[in-house]
Amino acid sequence: MRQIIKNRHEFFVLSKIRSRFVLLTLLLSFFALFSQAFYLQGMQNEWLQEEGFNRSNRKIILLAYRGKIFDRNGKVLAGSAPVQTIKANPVSVKFQKGQKNKLAKLLKLDPKYLDQKLRKKNRPYVFLKKRLSPKVAAQIMALKIPGITLDKEYRRYYPGNASSAHVVGYLGSDGNGLEGLEMAMNEALSGEHGFKKVLIDAKRRIVDELSEVKVPKDGQDIHLSIDSRLQEKTYEALKKAVDKHEAKSGSAILIDAKSGEVLAMSNFPSYNPNKPLTTIEAKNLKNRVMTDAFEPGSTVKPISVAVALEKNVVNVRTKINTTLKGHYKVGKHTIYDTHAYGTLTVKEVIQRSSNIGAVKIAEKMTAKSLWSIYNNFGFGRKTEIEFPGETRGELKSYKSWKKSDRAAISYGYSLSGSLAQIVRAYTPFANSGELKPLSLIKKNEPVIGKRVLSTKVSNQILNILESVVSEDGGTAPHAQVPGYRIAGKTGTAKKSLIGRRGYGKKYTASFVGIAPVSKPKFIMAIMIDEPSKGGIYGGPLAGPVFKEVMSTALKLYSVPQDGLNNEVIERKNGVNINITI
Amino acid sequence: MNLNFILFILLIFFALAKINFQHQYRTLHSKLEIENQITLELREEKMKLQIEESSKSANGRIQEIAKKRLGMQAPKKNQKKIIFNK
Repeated sequence: MRQIIKNRHEFFVLSKIRSRFVLLTLLLSFFALFSQAFYLQGMQNEWLQEEGFNRSNRKIILLAYRGKIFDRNGKVLAGSAPVQTIKANPVSVKFQKGQKNKLAKLLKLDPKYLDQKLRKKNRPYVFLKKRLSPKVAAQIMALKIPGITLDKEYRRYYPGNASSAHVVGYLGSDGNGLEGLEMAMNEALSGEHGFKKVLIDAKRRIVDELSEVKVPKDGQDIHLSIDSRLQEKTYEALKKAVDKHEAKSGSAILIDAKSGEVLAMSNFPSYNPNKPLTTIEAKNLKNRVMTDAFEPGSTVKPISVAVALEKNVVNVRTKINTTLKGHYKVGKHTIYDTHAYGTLTVKEVIQRSSNIGAVKIAEKMTAKSLWSIYNNFGFGRKTEIEFPGETRGELKSYKSWKKSDRAAISYGYSLSGSLAQIVRAYTPFANSGELKPLSLIKKNEPVIGKRVLSTKVSNQILNILESVVSEDGGTAPHAQVPGYRIAGKTGTAKKSLIGRRGYGKKYTASFVGIAPVSKPKFIMAIMIDEPSKGGIYGGPLAGPVFKEVMSTALKLYSVPQDGLNNEVIERKNGVNINITI
Repeated sequence: MNLNFILFILLIFFALAKINFQHQYRTLHSKLEIENQITLELREEKMKLQIEESSKSANGRIQEIAKKRLGMQAPKKNQKKIIFNK
């Protein structure tokens, strides 16, 4: 019922009730606010401060970049670039009309497969696609599908593909190196991630840095001694030889004769480190130049002859009777030559690769002096490269040698070494008697070696080795490089049986060469393993690989020609020549 | 009285100046962060270009293009001449 106020007094009486009501309401409100304020600021203070801090402060990870691997000319052999990973939260993904098909198309996935992935509702997220290019990832994010998120990660790329895979190696899914230099130099390459705490505003922009900062330490870049042009050439030449001779594999190493820097180190078959690891065959992973030891055969004959010359046991003209039968008995063992050579000079023993001649020269020396020289030339010791899984080869102590061991060692059996050790053992012949340490890292200063031979003897051996390539009766005419004087030695060795004593019918064909003879610049060693077509000898099998790679190397490094007279020698033999100037 | 008033005015002025500088600092810091981000992106771009350059300048690839696209070939034996510089 409506009440009518008749006068002013009556109005104030009514308003007093109202005012008390309002006052009470206000008091109650203040009390409520006060209690709430007391509760929040007094009792919930810490929690609230923490919440506030969490909303405005962020810890940002500052990624350290993994170091790059460069070749000697600054070309990238391994580098990391960002790729995007698309993730989805199966619970919160909601497609609008046509979005699912667009997403499937961009991801190059079947929409049914996408459905199948998104059915896993019990998972916080599922990976839809890894390693997407930033462009495609941006297109996907532009679709603005709820529940689809983007993660940035880094992928390692290897532009050298299969040709440099064995040197560079590859990374595992955890970002650590699993093979090659990626593994050997993992610590230096990795670096350390950092972080910083920042203050962000409502628009999520960073507006201030808080005190806690850890500066990221990028991984170190590594400049290798490898020349990717020669690396690629070596790989191609090996591939051609292995295919042509239907061999099991082929390996080669090319070094700078003066510094010991490795310019190319390659094996075939190899693998492509850019492809998923599951597609790589385990047997192709090994860098056989470094990890596999084999009996080198005749390629080590110059070493034992060098010692004999050094100790004045023989001179280059000393005549050695290699018998007219072509075989020679040492204890219970018979040693054979490919032909019956009769009497040969020391030079001819190397030139024609006479096993009997090498044994007879070795017989003039003590076991200890023979062992010392092989040891001094680096057999039985790892190279200075420190490559993962590197073999030290085998050089038994002379104290345990039987008579047959001493004979066998003189022509490259009863000892084993890696191709890297063999190429190192040839450095004294190119450096007036100094053995140079090998290196995969680019050197900017002259490298001091260890003297193992006199200048006179090393030059004598170099000249004998030149006759192996260029003179009639030499075993390596296939290694001739027109326009240049080449020195080298072939090797053909039977492979020992696995798990049994003795030798089977499988061979390794090898060649070690030095170019040019007048001023040695390069040394290269090649080994073709188990050839099954087109012969078994080192000269015709490994020689052409040397010729192909060395022609390119000499041209690329503008090495002056020192052997234009080669033309005359080859024409005398009726062999066609290609001279390239 | 006057001194107190002046100090009060100064206090207000410096308080406002502090707020203003804080705001300017945060705005500039935000811009710096954006620039830093751009630097990182450019660094990554450089890396990508280096990788691309390395893979595209591979001898094998150039040889293939020279042979197939440009029809180039190595000179034959009879096309070569030896020049002696006496």
